[in-house]
Amino acid sequence: MNNHLGSWQIVHIPDKQPVPPGQQPTVSMFASVIDPKHANTIVRRLNQVAPLEGFRHVKRVQKKFLEGGKTQLSVLICLACDNDTQLDNVPSHVQELINLYQLSTSIVKVCKYAPMSKAEWEEQCKLWPTSYHPPTYNIDGITGFNEEDMQLVFKFMQFAVDLATSGKNRVVNAAVIVDPSVKQLIASACDQICAWKDKTSIDYSCFLKPESITSDSDSYRVAAHETVLSNGLSNELRQPYTGVSCLYPWRWTEKQQYSESSCYWHPLRHAAIVAIESSAARDRRLLPDLGNIRIKSFELDPMKASPTSSPAKRQRTICDNVDNDESAGNQIFHMVDNESADNQIFHMALARPYLCTGYDIYLVWEPCPMCAMALVHQRIRRIFYAFPNPNAGALGSVHRLQGEKSLNHHYAVFRIVMPEEVLHRCKTDVAKTV
Amino acid sequence: MASPGEECSTETLAFMELALEQAKSALSILEVPIGCVIVGDGKVVASGRNRTTETRNATRHAEMEAIDILLEQWQKSGLSPSEVAERFSKCILYVTCEPCIMCAAALTILGIKEVYYGCANDKFGGCGSILSLHLSSPVPCNSGEVQSSKGFKSTGGIMASEAIFLLRTFYEQGNPNAPKPHRPLAAQAGH
Repeated sequence: MNNHLGSWQIVHIPDKQPVPPGQQPTVSMFASVIDPKHANTIVRRLNQVAPLEGFRHVKRVQKKFLEGGKTQLSVLICLACDNDTQLDNVPSHVQELINLYQLSTSIVKVCKYAPMSKAEWEEQCKLWPTSYHPPTYNIDGITGFNEEDMQLVFKFMQFAVDLATSGKNRVVNAAVIVDPSVKQLIASACDQICAWKDKTSIDYSCFLKPESITSDSDSYRVAAHETVLSNGLSNELRQPYTGVSCLYPWRWTEKQQYSESSCYWHPLRHAAIVAIESSAARDRRLLPDLGNIRIKSFELDPMKASPTSSPAKRQRTICDNVDNDESAGNQIFHMVDNESADNQIFHMALARPYLCTGYDIYLVWEPCPMCAMALVHQRIRRIFYAFPNPNAGALGSVHRLQGEKSLNHHYAVFRIVMPEEVLHRCKTDVAKTV
Repeated sequence: MASPGEECSTETLAFMELALEQAKSALSILEVPIGCVIVGDGKVVASGRNRTTETRNATRHAEMEAIDILLEQWQKSGLSPSEVAERFSKCILYVTCEPCIMCAAALTILGIKEVYYGCANDKFGGCGSILSLHLSSPVPCNSGEVQSSKGFKSTGGIMASEAIFLLRTFYEQGNPNAPKPHRPLAAQAGH
């Protein structure tokens, strides 16, 4: 089972556009060479009168090795104003220290933000030394990936890849919505822009336990020569994959082969949109409408900014225990008979999942803006995708919705880096077994 | 883009009035009151209103509803994808609130000609407020043949106060579909 772990990687896609390591924003500071004999005293004093607030990643002292085995110590004194190379605005305590030790100050550039990667850190240290703490993926309360989490994440992604490559002729995008708290598949879909049989034919049969998904370790064996990239985030695929809707959203007009009369076609039925529809249909079926219950609740006027609104978290209750049961809705209704109606209605309201709150989605390709925004609307918690979308990707490639602060919901985005060969695996496997 | 001061033709106002009617019908059944009409050849060819509460599908915005009606209609009458694209390229959308990023992206995919909207959408707007998807996008293409969005003309501020009034009415009575708030209502009850 460890085969794939060595080759597949989970990479967090941050809210902010990563800049090339050599182009990180900097600030100007006053610095001075100091006599090593005075280093302790000066640093202690500076930490009192001019602490480097907001620059915890920056080291106070720089040590340089000079020719002849000598070392030279420099110390950061304080922040310098832009265009101000004079010491006019320096606080008086700092000025006293400069005078006392007869420091000759100069301006140095220091990186403004803590490094996010080793490459960034190495670049930063060329200017002035900083410290680097590798990320732990502890993002917005979402815990890191332990061995078990990773196995599950890879398993669901493998399922999405299998769906995407299951077509006769070509690879499409696929979406798999999962409730990670109970490790359950909620909905899955492929792109349906060319063949959508009927509105009633939405596939509801997606209640697989992850165990039932093909999980032989061979299926994870992938090419050993994965090219590990400097930032791990961009690699070009060798094939165009023109069947992937999110990659070519504007190409639907060129398609002529839709002629089967029993099929609708629909340029907007990208995999994520279809999966959301399927998940909503499941929701309606398992938890029928509760009538005219008005739950007093509150969402701010969309016209106004909402600094105070905090996203309510999904309440996890009895529903999870009956999720697999077709009559879940009925069971809940039975329980109403036993308790006071008001109280029970309140519990039922809590029990009902709010859209896809708490759910994850697995996509083979980074979604376009339509799909990415649909996933914001439907309150998906985490998005995992395998291949970036340089044409229209909305999670880092062209746009970066996870970093749009004004949106009322934010998901965490991860890329699962894997070799392109996984997209060809299915066909060869089928060929072998036939 | 949005130029509310610009004089609107009576035709524009009349179609926006119809979109507002759709929004009002949404409000009457506790849906988010946003409505739209799509106009082709000077006539309304489809209309829609928000259906997110009923469907429990937060993507069922007014625009998506109207688009689905058109796609089904045109396919039933046997139009090919390129013919459908041709029709969309002559259609104008009138919607009471600026299309969100999802709907604006959908409208570029379909290649709609023009959009008139009521109030701006400061949280989700895809026609200038948050993203500007209506502007044609030069796609960073390496193959050289990747199509890109042609964009569409977008004008905001048409009968915006009417649209805002409906939304405010809705949110003041409470969105029954929204998740339970953490903090007590009293704390926010000011407006």
